[in-house]
Amino acid sequence: MTEQNKPKRKPGVCIPWEEKLKELPPISGDKQLVQRTWEQSDTLGYIYVWYCLLAW
Amino acid sequence: MTKDKDMERLYGERLKRYVTAMRNEKPDRVPIRPFVAEFTAKYAGYTIQEVTFDLEKALGAARKCAADFDWDAVVPNMVHVWAGLTEAIGLKYYGYPGIHLPADTCFQYREPPEEEAFMKGDEYEQLIEDPTGYLFNVWFPRVCGDVKAEGQPTSYRNNMSFLKGGMAMMSCFNALGKQSELLRSECGTVSAISGILKAPLDIITDKLRGYLGMCTDLYEQPDKVLAACEAFMPHLLYMALSGADGEKNVPIAIWMHRRCVPFVSQEHFDKIYWPTLKPIVEEIWARGHQVLFYAEGRWAAHLKAFAELPDRSIIFHVDQDDVFEVHKVLGHKFCISGGIPNFLLSYGMPQQVRDFCKKVIDTVARDGGYIMDAGAIMQDDTRVENLKAMTEFTREYGVY
Repeated sequence: MTEQNKPKRKPGVCIPWEEKLKELPPISGDKQLVQRTWEQSDTLGYIYVWYCLLAW
Repeated sequence: MTKDKDMERLYGERLKRYVTAMRNEKPDRVPIRPFVAEFTAKYAGYTIQEVTFDLEKALGAARKCAADFDWDAVVPNMVHVWAGLTEAIGLKYYGYPGIHLPADTCFQYREPPEEEAFMKGDEYEQLIEDPTGYLFNVWFPRVCGDVKAEGQPTSYRNNMSFLKGGMAMMSCFNALGKQSELLRSECGTVSAISGILKAPLDIITDKLRGYLGMCTDLYEQPDKVLAACEAFMPHLLYMALSGADGEKNVPIAIWMHRRCVPFVSQEHFDKIYWPTLKPIVEEIWARGHQVLFYAEGRWAAHLKAFAELPDRSIIFHVDQDDVFEVHKVLGHKFCISGGIPNFLLSYGMPQQVRDFCKKVIDTVARDGGYIMDAGAIMQDDTRVENLKAMTEFTREYGVY
């Protein structure tokens, strides 16, 4: 797998955290926890569409 | 308690046998891993329609077969398209028993005419730029009856499609996870595969451009086809690994369709199909997983290309190729599976099945590295007595 295979929207991502972060007020406390939780749910959307394509 | 221990012991023996053969080594005896689909309905006393629509019955039928036959590994549900999900989101490309087909007919994939392909020939740039965005914004509205495209007013049915689809998929994943546990605890049977892979050119052809559209594209805009395949590579790798066996025992399956000669030219295989699949398989192997090449149809023209892969990185499954010839080319590097002709299992006699299995065990399986199975998935035309003959003969004769 080479550099040319690096996609604009990364595998596992529908709405990047960086994009979502711009919509949120400043985060206090554990910022990593908020990010991780967002990304875990976001990945489910990604798996939904790609799994439909591949398996169904 | 004793039964639990017996099942666990049986599971352990079967897993070791299956994995040893897949690593192209010699186990205690030839493992049996039949990919049984609608055969399970026939054997368990269900209709084709029941196992297509009722997931619990489909899973129960698979477990009944696993419990009654002495098989080492099975696919948890080889009737792999559950109509409960696809009908919930109105997927247009399946024909179902009782709706689009006679009630006793296996579900079918329905490819649209070239002019109605789910992706248009001038949309490659959009696909290449953002494959995930294209799937959500362009592909879904075309393949799901209720989904509205960006810019169109949304609707109750649009919203329900995603809600029901997502819930149905989670429900299905949960049921399949439980199925693997039940296969182990109730039957001592190994779940044969984990994770899914498709070749970039295969999936773009099958679900986006269609066969005829892709044939045109390969000659009129091959550079864009190649770029689209390259754009798909990291996504297909991600999806393959996301469902892979954490223990790294059982392989990720790649379902290989019509991208072999003569469905594509040797040049297109060499310049597009293989260069965009091979690196994915190599990366998967580098991370410790094998890939099961489920080579539907005939792939004899490409065996030397497959031989470029690292030793033991794949299991090569033989459908309509000559299993003895495949073994000559690939057997020194990879485990071979299948090769028992489906027509023999459907229309032959048990003695003919035993004779063919003997020939395979005497040659292909002689030094290990072989898994007994039919060439293609077994539907309701497979005769029970023939599958019993394949199973019982392999158990009796296939001992090292």
